[in-house]
Amino acid sequence: MLHLLTDPFRVVFMQRALLELILLALVSGPCSVFVLLRRRAFMAEALTHTVFPGIAVAFFLGQSLLLGACVAAIASVLLLGVGWRDGRVDHDGFLVVIISAFFAVGVVVVSRGHSFASDLTALLFGKILAVNRAELVATFVIACVVVGLLVVVGKELIAVAFDPVVAVAWGLPVRFLDVVLNVVIALVVVASLKAVGTALVVALVVVPGAIARLCSARIGWMMVIATVSAAVCSWIGLAASYDASLHHGIRLAAGATVVVLLTMTFAMVAAVTAVMRVRDATP
Amino acid sequence: MSRADVALQLDDVTVAFDRDVVLEGVTGTVNAGGSLALIGPNGAGKSTLIRAILGLVPVERGTVTVLGRTPVAARLDVAYVPQGDALDSEFPVTVAQVVLMGRYRRIGWFRRPKNSDRAIAMAALEQVGLAPRAGDRFGILSGGQRQRVLIARAIAQQARLLLLDEPLNGVDATTHDLLLEVLATLRSEGVAIVMATHDLSVAHLACTDACLLNRHQFAFGPIDETLTAPTLRKTYGAHAVLLAGDSTIVMPR
Repeated sequence: MLHLLTDPFRVVFMQRALLELILLALVSGPCSVFVLLRRRAFMAEALTHTVFPGIAVAFFLGQSLLLGACVAAIASVLLLGVGWRDGRVDHDGFLVVIISAFFAVGVVVVSRGHSFASDLTALLFGKILAVNRAELVATFVIACVVVGLLVVVGKELIAVAFDPVVAVAWGLPVRFLDVVLNVVIALVVVASLKAVGTALVVALVVVPGAIARLCSARIGWMMVIATVSAAVCSWIGLAASYDASLHHGIRLAAGATVVVLLTMTFAMVAAVTAVMRVRDATP
Repeated sequence: MSRADVALQLDDVTVAFDRDVVLEGVTGTVNAGGSLALIGPNGAGKSTLIRAILGLVPVERGTVTVLGRTPVAARLDVAYVPQGDALDSEFPVTVAQVVLMGRYRRIGWFRRPKNSDRAIAMAALEQVGLAPRAGDRFGILSGGQRQRVLIARAIAQQARLLLLDEPLNGVDATTHDLLLEVLATLRSEGVAIVMATHDLSVAHLACTDACLLNRHQFAFGPIDETLTAPTLRKTYGAHAVLLAGDSTIVMPR
């Protein structure tokens, strides 16, 4: 049984894919806990749309897609910061304005190109098995930046998430902290694009934290559980998609398989913990 | 009284939102170890005055001086416990972690809490009688217990001025008595207290001075001189029903 989980990784491209996903788990785990605590899931979803024009323009100009995604994500985060500060249009409303504006620009750029079809598929659904050395290095650099940012502002972010009113009275720069968190989310989204694509990337930034919250009410443990569940689902997902296509002739998209496993884990944990809750409540 | 002993000095404090004056001409001082009750009907500007002392709303006219500094410069030495319980009861923090948050500003960015910070937080929790609940999740506590934890967080901050918005609203009898005791202890240590309250008996039990507000100041001074039937009637205007319990209102402790 165990060989099913180890055999696929004798091949170099599978090793790279696993390493990429483990690196991503190390950042998406902690990041997803902060997303949950500060209720930024919808923000994460929005960012998956706003990176799109960056990638499209970068492709058009022959520049690095990762760089393009980064620029677009950071630009949308900063614009949101400005718009939310203004306050006349509510947060959700302004968010939708930004999402649609960015996405529309992306579509316009894409519609001018010719050879997008295959690249667009990779963009939407990821191409984890094609991860190369340079992309691994890029993911590693992004991971270091994300972990660095979270170490610097982590405890303040938790205080703000718990009690924003008093955090303001303490003089904590709440808006700045939210921008930092949004930048972190943007970086994780960008880093995960190659692995799972824009359509599913939000799962990595939200679901591990949600699983962790079901298992524990301790933030420290939640970070560990989120990271481990993301890593384990990645490992099993990769192995399953490899095995299915090699031995059973079924083509399973690796990135999507990982996300399916994550959401299935969430559902199982939710069911089990709900039953345990009921059992504990009845004498 | 030397300047150093003045915790809070309000001088003709006037706050306006879009030209709409919500608070006008508040003048008075609170000394170290003193305690001021902010008394007035809903919308009288009590919370606005607290926000002005925190430096969260700009002052249109006049000055707020906190511990000899501007409100913003004094923030580290000012603790604030807002009204009611708007906190998420599912939030995954323990009671001890909440109290420890009171240390975060002193600890500073990047650094982790030291053992001394944990000891201070634990002592604060002890003071409000909840040390045995340190490991419990904050959200499972009762309303009164949560209020005690939030006061402990303020104590852990080791502030010189404590601002409370309706601190004893809807709390159980145990919490009520315990918090009055805690506030008295803090005052004996030189902490100044300002509390907005509807409860005139709490004002009498916990405060040396009172400020009667209804958009502008009707009285400011020692509680026995200011919390009288005539000033209350002026402050509350037509809401004379509030004076129905006149005898309990002005009852000495």
